[in-house]
Amino acid sequence: MAALAETMPTARARVFHEDDRLLVSAGLYAALGLTIALPLVLMFLWSVADGWAPPNVIPRDYTLSRWQAMIADPGLLRAALNSTVIAVVVTFATALIALPTAWAMARFPFRLKRLVEIFILAPVIIPGLVVAVGIGQVFLFLGLSYSIAGVILVQIVGTLPLMIRLMTATLETIPDDLIHAARSLGAGTVGVVLHIILPLAVPGLLAGGLLSFIGSFEEFDKSFIVGAPVVETLPIKLYTFLDPYSLQLPIASIIAFILLLPALIVFVIAGRILRDDLMAAGMGKL
Amino acid sequence: MQAALHDRKIQLALLLLPGVGYLLLFFGGPLVSALIGSLRLDDGSFTLQWYERIFTRVTMLRGLQTSIYYGVAPVIVSLLVSIPLALLIRQNFRGRKLFNGLYKLPMAVPGIIVALMVIIMAERGGFIDRVIAPFGVSMPKLVRDEWGIGVILATVWKQIPFMTLIITSAFAGIPEDIRHAARSLGASRLNTFAFVEVPLAMPGITAALLLTFIGSMGSYAIPDIVGSPSPRPLSVLMLFEFGEGRFAQVYAMGMVLSLFAVVVLLAYYALTANIGVNRTKGDE
Repeated sequence: MAALAETMPTARARVFHEDDRLLVSAGLYAALGLTIALPLVLMFLWSVADGWAPPNVIPRDYTLSRWQAMIADPGLLRAALNSTVIAVVVTFATALIALPTAWAMARFPFRLKRLVEIFILAPVIIPGLVVAVGIGQVFLFLGLSYSIAGVILVQIVGTLPLMIRLMTATLETIPDDLIHAARSLGAGTVGVVLHIILPLAVPGLLAGGLLSFIGSFEEFDKSFIVGAPVVETLPIKLYTFLDPYSLQLPIASIIAFILLLPALIVFVIAGRILRDDLMAAGMGKL
Repeated sequence: MQAALHDRKIQLALLLLPGVGYLLLFFGGPLVSALIGSLRLDDGSFTLQWYERIFTRVTMLRGLQTSIYYGVAPVIVSLLVSIPLALLIRQNFRGRKLFNGLYKLPMAVPGIIVALMVIIMAERGGFIDRVIAPFGVSMPKLVRDEWGIGVILATVWKQIPFMTLIITSAFAGIPEDIRHAARSLGASRLNTFAFVEVPLAMPGITAALLLTFIGSMGSYAIPDIVGSPSPRPLSVLMLFEFGEGRFAQVYAMGMVLSLFAVVVLLAYYALTANIGVNRTKGDE
């Protein structure tokens, strides 16, 4: 054992020194720059490059004409509008549907709870593609095929499980005493919901809402099957430009940026609100 | 009516109705209808021929293998990066808070954009190729290649933050006392990590593995854009059949994909149940 310890001095000397710290942060940030920042920068360069032939590592000429043309393109505008409307509706509908169910999951002991829990998780387990092709028949019957309403309904199947789980984890932490106290001080059910439960549920609601928004805004598989080619969202639009036989990197890069921007803004906001422990409570156990 | 609302059972049913009802209608219903559709011929009679095709046709069989490969390979790579990353993030280094926010960025980036980035970076004639060209080196084929390196790169890029996040939280959830107890009882740092922390963090780690595996096995956009044209995974083949209008075949393929996901989930439950048993044994 002593020999083992001698051959592995690193295992013993893992106390962080000041130099190590600098080294670690330098390494981590370098990795971050190469894997995340560099591709983003290159994508941006592609969107403003005026021709970028192979030997050049960075483009020689730049132009904004493509951006101008794309922004003026009514098709792209419609896709952006569709994506935004769909994402907003999905987010609010998901929260509305999830809240009562999450309350029941967090607060009521009942016999089949584990079963219900697994059923709520099931849409995460079953590939979205399968749900989407299956839902086609149901939508044909309901007259929802190739409609925005259909895309919204199928996307909620994907966002609901995470929202319910996040909300359940949040609502579980509200102490019973608080509700009893409010009741004994004369608050009715509506009062308790409005003044106690909802305010305390805000962190979970915000986290779940932001994740639902991003999830819906960037969702491709299900929307593509249910909505394309009639309903066009930004990801569907981008997909049509990534066809290997007619690949247009500059135009694809522009759409990618338009698609990425709202998601990144929401994400920066989410980073401030979203607590890791909440996220892990939602998805860290199945 | 008022009395009924005070009955706990009726309250519970009413509260569960929106979420569970929605999923029954728009998730359970479609799955059942797909299952029925996959077992029927055009005239409505029972058949297993759509399943038989999946397990006898060469393209389908290779598709199934490719799906599993695209599920497993990225998860292994992600795990190899995520565990050290999760351990590093625990340490106190300069700019830790900022890094903690930035590394999660890929979670907000759609798969299609990741595919585009892989094309820009790693394709022949792409950025890396141009940078190394002056040194007389050229890139091997990494996009739409036989080994699916492009797919793995894109999938890993998207998986690492999620996995790291869950694993970090799993490690953080272990009480400090347990670590101190192991150390004071003479376990080395390495042993404490391998035999105390990793087993306790296992449920979180396996959950992350499972979710990322299923996500990449069933995804369509990334393998379609940067994946090899042959063999193609079941998800891409499924969309092809969908475009051809062979719905019964599509449903059968969907059922097989789902079955794989469910089997993996059951394996997970069996595994974590075991961990639970061992833990209670240890307490006695």
